[in-house]
This record gives sequence, structure tokens and C-alpha cells, in this order.
Amino acid sequence: MEFVVGIDVGSLSTDAVILGEEENILGYSIVGTGDSSTDAAREAMDSAAANAGVDMVRASLIISTGYGRAAVPGSGRQVTEIACHAAGAYHFFSDTELVIDIGGQDSKVIRVGKGGKVLDFAMNDKCAAGTGRFLEVMSAKLKIPLDQMGTFSLAARGEASISSVCTVFAESEVVSLVARNFPKEEIVKGLHRSVVNRVWAMTRQMSVKGGVTMTGGVAKNTGVVALMEERLGRKINVPAEPQIIGALGAALMALRHLKGAAAG
Amino acid sequence: MIMNGHPEARARRDYILEQKRGFGRRVIGVFPAYYPRELLLSMNILPVEIWDPPLESSHANAHLQSYICSVVKQGLELILQGKCRDLDAFLFPHTCDSIQNLASIVNDYLGIEKPCYFFYHPKAPYKESSRWYYIKQLEDLALRLEKQFGPLNHHEFKKKVEQGEDLRRTIGELYRRRAEGTLGLSNVEFYRILRQVEYLHPDDFLPVLTAILKRPPDRKSKGLAVIVSGILPNPPEVLEHLDRLGINVADDDFLSCSRRLLARPAISTVPFEAMADSYFGMQPCCTKGSAIEDRLKSILDKAKSSSAKGVIFQMVKFCEPELFDVPILVEGLKAEGLATLVIDTELNQGMSGQLVTRLEAFAEMIG
Repeated sequence: MEFVVGIDVGSLSTDAVILGEEENILGYSIVGTGDSSTDAAREAMDSAAANAGVDMVRASLIISTGYGRAAVPGSGRQVTEIACHAAGAYHFFSDTELVIDIGGQDSKVIRVGKGGKVLDFAMNDKCAAGTGRFLEVMSAKLKIPLDQMGTFSLAARGEASISSVCTVFAESEVVSLVARNFPKEEIVKGLHRSVVNRVWAMTRQMSVKGGVTMTGGVAKNTGVVALMEERLGRKINVPAEPQIIGALGAALMALRHLKGAAAG
Repeated sequence: MIMNGHPEARARRDYILEQKRGFGRRVIGVFPAYYPRELLLSMNILPVEIWDPPLESSHANAHLQSYICSVVKQGLELILQGKCRDLDAFLFPHTCDSIQNLASIVNDYLGIEKPCYFFYHPKAPYKESSRWYYIKQLEDLALRLEKQFGPLNHHEFKKKVEQGEDLRRTIGELYRRRAEGTLGLSNVEFYRILRQVEYLHPDDFLPVLTAILKRPPDRKSKGLAVIVSGILPNPPEVLEHLDRLGINVADDDFLSCSRRLLARPAISTVPFEAMADSYFGMQPCCTKGSAIEDRLKSILDKAKSSSAKGVIFQMVKFCEPELFDVPILVEGLKAEGLATLVIDTELNQGMSGQLVTRLEAFAEMIG
């Protein structure tokens, strides 16, 4: 066996991880999903393979996850992103008992047991509120690059109150705040607060005392992470590249599957 | 009666027309959930239940608030689209506030020229007077029905009550074989057959069930077992997906199924008394005001006897009686080590990618 591949086809991004026999990351990539899950998957795998300096045809096993998991060419197995995020988060932080994954079109909280096994989970998939898509829409509205939203939020002296959790109505509220010359920093902090409150409500169902790890693209937003820490009253683990954790989890499962098969 | 292009709906309509022409039966459209079926049958009335007609909802929105359950919305839509022409009357049991309000809209405001009947059944906690009240309601309904449909034949009534007992016993056996894992029906097949109870006359439905039970027992199923709960098994795509995942529904707590189709055997042989025995011998139900502890125990017993690993609550959006119970049930089941999954869906709207993920993640979790 040379390497395995984990690929996570999400609504906004498609992420691939190439993993070596010793659970070492040989390469990874993050590309936009665009209008074709299959094309995005191909692009992500080719890009990750190029980064790792390997030839994709030599992959021992590809496991796919995410909403587009069924559309991945060459996938040997499909696993949900819930199991993958749990496995990926546990790989980096073995004290993890709760994973918070705020993705492009939904958010999830996952209670994790020993070895990264899923014990329970809750998902918000009813609307874009409390998701990466919500922040993306607001970033466009406020003309603040998505990757600078966290910095803006942390610089806020006060905080705007965003009462609605619906993306459409929250956008109207933002328009009204902008019209009143409300500082952008405070608006962004208020938006982050509304996302955090929504996700926090789900974490309450899990009653976890151990480590909390945040994954998914929104975990890169330092403003959201800070407010979540404040709400939970504890430090949150954030991997160096939180966006690839689902793909990493899939790759870890591929590796374990092959090792399990080899052991008979 | 329902959408012409929908195969199940077409089968229902053909059946209704055949029953009217061939047997001179009258047909009553019955809203969920508890009603004296045997009383109607003994008066040569075929009850056809209205749970989830497959319609695009457009007219009903003008009469109902946005946050109302789809059972009520779809039922009203059926009437407003003029698809109840073959019915002779409507019956509204007092199931919940929403159905009670629907009864009022249909009877008082729509100007529909079809008689509407109402049926009030006692709610828990039951007292000594509850049984008396229930029998009184049965007798009152019989008197009102007699005015439109002719006198109640007491001999026929007794026969239909006995047939009702037979039907419950047979359905009970079907459930028992399924929990044991030897029935040999997929989840989809089981509920497709069982839901025919909503419109088939027992003379036709009982032989269907008996034929299934006469088949030699299947090899014990090796799939993971779960219990499903909720109002009714819709959208059916959930069952299809569970079949694909190799998960067997070993038992259920659906209002439209086990909660009202199964009951302890009646003790009395006097028809009204026997019907009361059945009503009070049914499983705990939120629409009957049953204690939550009783319902929790009922679900736990089902899980234990079928070795189920988890419980899936398939919710109808905005169903208040059910929504009050579910958080407490989930807590209680988790405390007993059972995995739970709560999903809420619109009726007849298939499955989203997110719902597929939830079901698959649940399967991975209990596997």
C-alpha cells in the first residue's frame, strides 16, 4: 500500500487529503465545488496528488464523504461527513468529546467517544442561518473579504444586535444598520453572535464536559471561535487547517479499512 | 378522489367506486385518528381515511396559518380541489386542536354540501366516567349517522366488532413476526400493505394479511433493527432508504399504525362495550393525553423485545401533540442507552441530501 485518499465534496468547497501508511498527510487541496461535484472531486484529487508528488492511479483506496460523496469518480466507499469529522478531529485532538463543524450549508455538533466514534449528533439543515453560507452572504453585503471577518469582529468595541436568525431577514437588518452608519466591526460581531447562538443551542443537547474541537471553513474565522469559546466557557481546539478535517477523516477510515482487511 | 396521476390514489378511487357500485356502500372521508370503524362498517359505510393526499397545496393556504401541520393542510386541500365528490360525508374525530379547527372551517365556513360528523373521545388520565363517556359518544354518533344512513343493524354491528377484533389480532401477528425478523417484507412493503387499512373494507383487507402470514417464515433478518415513531410513515422515501442501508424497522409507534391498530383483546362481547375495551386497550398516545412515562415505557418495551438499537422519530412539521412529547422521549431513551434520531419532513416531499446524511450517519452510529 502506498497511500489512500479521503475526499469531502461539500456545497461550497471540495477538499482532498492524501494520507500515507503512517497516518501522515502527504498532500491536500481545497477547491471550489462550483456546478459539478464530479469535476470538483477530480480537480481536488489531482491537485492534492500533485502536492503530494504521487500518481492518483496508485491510490490504494478512495473514501468519499460530504453531500457530493456519491459523485466522486473511483470512490471505493462512502461515509457520512459526520463520522469523518469525528475521526479527523480526534486524530489531532484526542481529548475531543465534541466536534462543532460549521459547514457551507449546514452546521453539526457531534458527540465523540474513544477512537473518534460518533456517539450522538445534531444537525441544523433547515436554512442557511448558522452556516458558512450565511457569513458568505453577509461578507458580500458588507464588502468585507470573508477571511477578514474574524479580524473585524475582534476589533469591535461594541456589538450590533441581530435579532433574526434567517439569512434573508438578517440581511435586511444589516441594510438598516448600515443606513444608520453602524460601525462595520460591530455589525460583523453581531452577525457572528447570531451564528454562535444558533450552534450553541445544538451543543446544549450533548452535555459534554471534555474537549471541544471546531472544524470546517468557519473555524478559520477567529471572531466566531472567540465568541463560541465565550459562550461555552472553555477553550476550543482548532486544527491548523480545519477545512480538510472531513477529508482527513475519510482518509483515516480508508487506511483503517485496508489495515483491518490486511489483518483479516 | 385524489390525484388522478398518482397510482395509490388511483387505486383508492377505483376501489371506492367499486364499493359504491358493487356493494351499495356509502363512503365517509375520515380525518385522523381514532374513530369507531366497526360502527361505520356495520351501517354499510366504508370509512376512507384522509392522512396525506399527494397534492400540491395551493388553495388551503388561504384558510390556514403557515405554521400548521401538513395533515390538516393536505386534507383541506383535498376538499378545496373538489376531489371529495365521491364521498357522502366527513367524520372529524377530536384528535388535536388543528383537526378540531379544520372541522370548524369545513362545516361552518366552506359551505360544503356534505354532512360533517364529529366524534369526541375521552382523553387521559382516564377516570371511571371515561368509559361511560366514550360509550355515550358512540351511541350519539350512531343516532346521528342513522338519520342519514338508516338504522343500525345490531346483529351486523356485533359481527363487525368481532371482525375488528380479528383484524387487530391479525395485525398484531404481523407485527410480532416482523419484530422476530421472520416476516420477509421490506420496510416499504410492510407499510404499503398496512396502510391499505385506511381504505380497504376488512372483507378485502383481512385476506391480504392472512395470505402474508401463511407464507413460510423467512430466514431471520440479520440487519440492524430500529423502532420508528411519529404520526405516519411519510415520506416513504425514508423507508426506502432504510431498506437500502439494511436497517429493519422492527416495530413502530406511529399514530396511523400501531398506536391505533393494535389493542388488548376486548373482554366484553356486547358491541359498544367491546369497542370501549379496544379503545382503552390501545397503546399510549399523545393525542389521547397519555402520560409521557407510559409512552416512553411502551417504546422501550418495543425496543427491548425486538433488540432495536435505536429509535427514529419521523415528525410531521408543526404537529403540536407530538412535538411536546418528543424531547422528553428522546431524553428518556438516551438515558436507557438507545440512540435516537429526530427528523421532520413535509409530507410527500421526498428526501433532501441532508436527510440522507442524517439517516446514514445514524446507521453508522448504531452499526
